[in-house]
Amino acid sequence: MNEQFRVAQKIGLMFHHDTPLPEDIKTWAISQLNANSPALGIKTFNSKISPWPKSFQPDLNGRIKLFIRSAEIEQKLSSDPNADPNYKLQEKSDFENFMGNRDVLKFAHRNIYGKDQVRLRFMSFWINHFTISGDNSEQVSGHAYDEAILANLNGSFDLMLYKVTSHPGMLTFLDNWVSSGPNSKYTLDMKRNGAQAGLNDNLARELMELHTVSPAAKYTETDINNAAKVLAGWGTYMKTPLDELNKLAKTTDHWNMYKEDWAEPGNKRVLGKTIYAGKGGLRQLTDFLASHENTILFLSHKLAEHFISDNPSKSDINYIASAWRESNGNLDQIHSAVIERAIQSKEPKFQWPIIWLFQTLRLSKATYFHGWDEIWGPCNHCPDDPDRDAKVNYMTSRNIFKEIGQSFWHSRQPNGYSSKKDDWVSGEMFDRRIRFAEAIYNAGNPQFTSDQIMDRIGAHKSTRNLVKSMGMKEKNRFIALMCSPELMGLEYV
Amino acid sequence: MSKFEISRREFLKASAASLFLAGVPISGYTKDKPPGTISVIVLEGGMDGLSAVPPFGDQNLMKLRRGVTPDNFLKLNSFFGLHPSLKTFSALLARNNASIVHATNFPYTLRSHFEGQNLMEGGGLSPFSENTGWLGRSLDLANLGGRALSLDMPLILRGNNDNDNYFPANIRDTKKQLNSKLMNALAMAHNNNEADVFNKLSKKYVGSSRRDPASLAKYAGQEMAKENGPLASVIRVDRFDTHAFQDTDMGNFQLSSQLQVVDEVIAGYREGLGKAWNKSIILTLTEFGRTVRENGTWGTDHGYGSAGLLAGGAITKSGVISEWPGLANNEQFEQRDLMSTIDYRSVCAACIEKALGLDHDLIASKVFSTPKLPRVYDHIFSQPA
Repeated sequence: MNEQFRVAQKIGLMFHHDTPLPEDIKTWAISQLNANSPALGIKTFNSKISPWPKSFQPDLNGRIKLFIRSAEIEQKLSSDPNADPNYKLQEKSDFENFMGNRDVLKFAHRNIYGKDQVRLRFMSFWINHFTISGDNSEQVSGHAYDEAILANLNGSFDLMLYKVTSHPGMLTFLDNWVSSGPNSKYTLDMKRNGAQAGLNDNLARELMELHTVSPAAKYTETDINNAAKVLAGWGTYMKTPLDELNKLAKTTDHWNMYKEDWAEPGNKRVLGKTIYAGKGGLRQLTDFLASHENTILFLSHKLAEHFISDNPSKSDINYIASAWRESNGNLDQIHSAVIERAIQSKEPKFQWPIIWLFQTLRLSKATYFHGWDEIWGPCNHCPDDPDRDAKVNYMTSRNIFKEIGQSFWHSRQPNGYSSKKDDWVSGEMFDRRIRFAEAIYNAGNPQFTSDQIMDRIGAHKSTRNLVKSMGMKEKNRFIALMCSPELMGLEYV
Repeated sequence: MSKFEISRREFLKASAASLFLAGVPISGYTKDKPPGTISVIVLEGGMDGLSAVPPFGDQNLMKLRRGVTPDNFLKLNSFFGLHPSLKTFSALLARNNASIVHATNFPYTLRSHFEGQNLMEGGGLSPFSENTGWLGRSLDLANLGGRALSLDMPLILRGNNDNDNYFPANIRDTKKQLNSKLMNALAMAHNNNEADVFNKLSKKYVGSSRRDPASLAKYAGQEMAKENGPLASVIRVDRFDTHAFQDTDMGNFQLSSQLQVVDEVIAGYREGLGKAWNKSIILTLTEFGRTVRENGTWGTDHGYGSAGLLAGGAITKSGVISEWPGLANNEQFEQRDLMSTIDYRSVCAACIEKALGLDHDLIASKVFSTPKLPRVYDHIFSQPA
């Protein structure tokens, strides 16, 4: 593979057919970190690429309004067993109010059509690092990906950490919204009345173990407990009416929801650091954890493992860690260091299933994901649609990700997906690549043949031999190319 | 605070489980056929053993965790009860085809899911010290292969090159049998493990297309029942991390519904195995138990000791096997968790010994790197090995 595509495969999503290849790949890759691209996509299968409509990207409060509306409809329908015997009204409501399907398609479009391929790879890395999963979080997780992660990709890590930790998606996923300090007014009142209330340490534990210092910091249960006390009071119950929220937290901004009555009074000690009482304690805690030496080493290793090598060298890790320290956690500087070392290392890097999927679609200019006007779901709400049968059989973007074995919108553990090849090499995972390559060829109408793609990327001789061995049938040639060691980011024979 | 209604969508989500089955026909193995089969149900998230098998005879139980103890548990004896979701399991207990090991776990006390999961699957002495799993290493020692029914290859089965996995595909417009010429060419073009994977794909068997836990377990059982069928299988069930609303309507009765999934998996195995049930052993694994006290949010936090469920025809005498440590403050581990008094690696070793016919000392030293691992075989299996 030529140098431009080798680098684009390792740290990007591959060049579109009409993008000129940069001569200085390192300068290009680093400039990509600040590439300013809106979420691009398609309205329908055959329409031109254009920015996603604003109306499909409501802000946080807009999303929660839709969530509440959906809950009200659900409650109304469930109170009358005859109101919706076939769940058609319920599905119509899901279609109109539920953000998950739109968000997952926007994410796919953005990665397929975006002009900011390197930036998007770092976005995916951090989405995975700050995994948000689970039922109610799904209404707002897409917002967290865009506004807490992507919007802060050029700032400092401490800001991203704070914005993600305080986002209702994370606070809901890891149960913090119900956590109250053991000595808070709320807990004491509840207990006085014989009701239950108290601390939940789930987010505090993962904040330390997964998001920042890692177990290498040798924190204790007391540290976790104290971090949970700092977090107590943060979080929103998304079905609570705004006027009630205003009473509880003196704000109607769901991203700033700190209930003082639920907070634990007094200062707390976490890993030897005093964290002051009050709302500012969380920012103080996340800033402290963000700049902790164990966080720097843990995340430098994790970045290197994702972008450079399954077994990164100490030199690579130290190089990233030095950039982290010298820039006080500036993500542009950290990501630039990652890019430099990823380019310098000639080791191939096995690509996640979703990255391979996006790369396949960009290289072949196939159209496999439908447009934003075509989010049908099961389509029971449109029984009179003449295209209903076709639509019912259409695989939704959600299911594409589920089927390929990697989805940021399905239930998973808070540690996210592994970056190491050994965790992905299995018969079923490879089977899915073959099936998707075939499906993309059959349904996606690729605009470029295997030969054209190989010429453009400067495919290795062994890849050309593999494709050649398939004979003249273009479908088999296409599948062989996309599943070749070279296109999967593996060593070849 | 207002109560959550159980929404249909939320209920469906709560009921779904990430499911993994394992066990596949192995061509050309030369060893004498081992005496049984072994199936592992991995319970991800840290299963609350004190709610699954409540020790109601301990006077502290209701003082410390009334809100997370099921009201209508089944009394197994004068001390232990059983969660009402485990109906099939309770019937198997009544038929002397199931047992429970209580106050047990892998020797790991730091309460991290991911270190704990690595240890329960890897069977290493410290987190992330093993790249292979205890079941994979056991199969390797017995010169046998296994198969996981999942998209990925779980750590527990790694360590044997003949292992394979299977999970029904939903993607349309593909032939059931993959093009063997293409597979062979890909196998030749790839290196190392990847080449093996493509090689196996060319001979792939396409079976059950249903993905629900009971169907996958039934399919695994059917495959294991075949002459020269697989001897090991693994199924993974998640959502046991019950920090909040552990078993309340607001949490969609999460623990009840996940234990029901476990029960359905056991029932699926029972049905699929048919006559092969008599030589089968099924056991659960979880990375840790949960705190003795319920927390302030109707749930429980990460703990230490839990309970293991064992079922199968290889068990001929039911019972609750436990050296009960007690729930009083000074009896808890770090005044917080159920103490583990039985090393669960010993339970795994006994199941390997029974199913694969390997010697305990060999398992202890080669699989678990712990030559002095206690042997608990006689406590679980009433018949001598």
